[in-house]
Amino acid sequence: MSQAVVLYATTLLVYAGVDIMACWGLNLQFGVTGIYNFAFIIFQAAGAYTTGVLTLGPDTANGGFQHYIFGSTWPFPLPILMGGVVAGVLSLLIGLVTLRRLRSDYQAMVMLVLAVIATLVAENLATFVNGDSGLALIPQPLSNQITSVTGYQWWFVAFTAFACLVVYFFVRRITSAPLGRALRAVRDHEYAAAALGKNVASLRLFSFVAGGVIAGISGGILVSFITAWSPGSWLYVETLVLLTAVIVGGMGNNFGVMLGAMLVPVAFNEITRYLPQFGRPGLIDAFQWIVIGSLSMGFLWFRPQGIVPERRRKYKPPAELGVGATGAVGPGAGGPEPATVPDGRL
Amino acid sequence: MFHLVFASTLVESVGFGLVTASILAIAAVGFTLQFGVSNMLNLAYGDIMTAAAFGAYEVNKAGAPLWVSFIAGMATGAVTSVLLHRYIYRPFVRRGTQLVGLVIVALSAAVIIQNALLAGFGATFFTLKLPHTSTVHVAGATLTVLQLVIIGIAVAAMLAVDAMLRRTRLGKAMRATSGNPALARACGINTNRVVDTAWLIAGGLCGLAGVLLVLNTASFESTTGSDFLVITIAAAMLGGVGQAYGAMIGAVVLGVVTEVAAAYTRSSFKEVIAFAVLVIIVLIRPQGMFGQPVTALTMNKEVVN
Repeated sequence: MSQAVVLYATTLLVYAGVDIMACWGLNLQFGVTGIYNFAFIIFQAAGAYTTGVLTLGPDTANGGFQHYIFGSTWPFPLPILMGGVVAGVLSLLIGLVTLRRLRSDYQAMVMLVLAVIATLVAENLATFVNGDSGLALIPQPLSNQITSVTGYQWWFVAFTAFACLVVYFFVRRITSAPLGRALRAVRDHEYAAAALGKNVASLRLFSFVAGGVIAGISGGILVSFITAWSPGSWLYVETLVLLTAVIVGGMGNNFGVMLGAMLVPVAFNEITRYLPQFGRPGLIDAFQWIVIGSLSMGFLWFRPQGIVPERRRKYKPPAELGVGATGAVGPGAGGPEPATVPDGRL
Repeated sequence: MFHLVFASTLVESVGFGLVTASILAIAAVGFTLQFGVSNMLNLAYGDIMTAAAFGAYEVNKAGAPLWVSFIAGMATGAVTSVLLHRYIYRPFVRRGTQLVGLVIVALSAAVIIQNALLAGFGATFFTLKLPHTSTVHVAGATLTVLQLVIIGIAVAAMLAVDAMLRRTRLGKAMRATSGNPALARACGINTNRVVDTAWLIAGGLCGLAGVLLVLNTASFESTTGSDFLVITIAAAMLGGVGQAYGAMIGAVVLGVVTEVAAAYTRSSFKEVIAFAVLVIIVLIRPQGMFGQPVTALTMNKEVVN
């Protein structure tokens, strides 16, 4: 393979990995728990900024043309992990405010408003994360260790794949456990879950923070690869792209969501890159957004359960399991499944 | 001396605040009326404002007088709003799409309308041609005649909405549908028609707000309306969503606070301060200033189509 092809293929693979991770995080909140997180992109941004400032060094570096806080040079992988921590703390704070007392469509509104505030704050505070122009020249991790350009690209692909695996096992550990059942119960029938003794507020908060941490890590990895990050790259509509990916793939299904992440943000953006330029500047971008919007609407109309629907989980009645009808459920179970089974419709 | 400067800045900024508040009040009342009656979170509202501005722009470019542009803008807003409800939102509601899905449908509709306008008109700034206006001094503040007209139109629109809600059968039917749709239907109210009318009126107000907004800011582009949506939602939430009078007061509070804040800090911070006000309100009183407390009964209202 020529070097250009390798560069292109590896870049695509890294993007795919980052999008898959982010979509798994969003799916945990939105697909599994039913939280309308229209501010998802700000947690990815928080992780990206944290990783950026922790690798850039003090802001007098590079001639001091950028202004930001907390600049230092932490060794790889600490900045990325810290990105996850900061995004997690941010989602804890936001979750504490929004998830408890608000009606669900109010939550959607507040999230949207928060996403816009976050962009405005980052744009207008020039000395916080370098304002409108954003961070640039962020050093790539271990780039001084690997001299070959293509070798470095492949190394980054391997690192992203490893991170994906870790995130997958983390998400899978939650969704296939009794905890995941409790989260789905909160999504499908909040009051039934509460009546069964589930702490709905803390389950929601858990899912929100877990998704936030994943978003932060995905942002950290992305920024380490692309080496720049600015408010223009995380406008609130970017969340719609990820939401569309989750819906297209099949919300609640980790495999489906992975497929959706590869189809919508990755494949779709790459196909349109090769369209011949036509019309006035910005026209292709506009069509791209129109198609993204139509895609999510079309799927919600024709196939709301997505390409790979969430598995319908069937449980034998307690009698067949040899447990008395009034007896306790199996060891470690998070409680019986509520009567309503999702029919895959949003 | 310092106190004098301070005071005159305050009066000036309150004057500008009232202009912003006027536009915001029209937008927020339209938003909250439609949301209160139908429970559908219409995130495309801001982009309908932009569509209305473009409608007014086309008529204005053809050389029609300003009041014709106003009517064209309102008509564009009303028609877009009704079409959106009839042919997109209502079919989804009838198909049984739940709330999460509907919010995403609305966000998709917003993105589609905005980018269709971008594709159709291009990524440049547009300006409405205006007759030359002079400035007037009112109680220490300097405002243009145009700004006074904006305030006047807003006051007239608010009085009209008030009269409609309180004195007409339609207004009563709207309030009944907003309070309890099932009971309203049982009382013989044609809730379908009420909801359709609510979308029509909300669209008209939205269009009016859109035209006033681009008159006040002098130039606009395809994202102008969606940029304004967030502060509209903030004003509506401040007053308690679904509460028309709450939205008016929320708009005045936000409009004045943002302009006064902009006078004493950097102007780019005014939205940040407005949203900070909103977040504090959400923390202390999630239902807004005039909303009903959230209970199990009001928690998950169905969308009325």
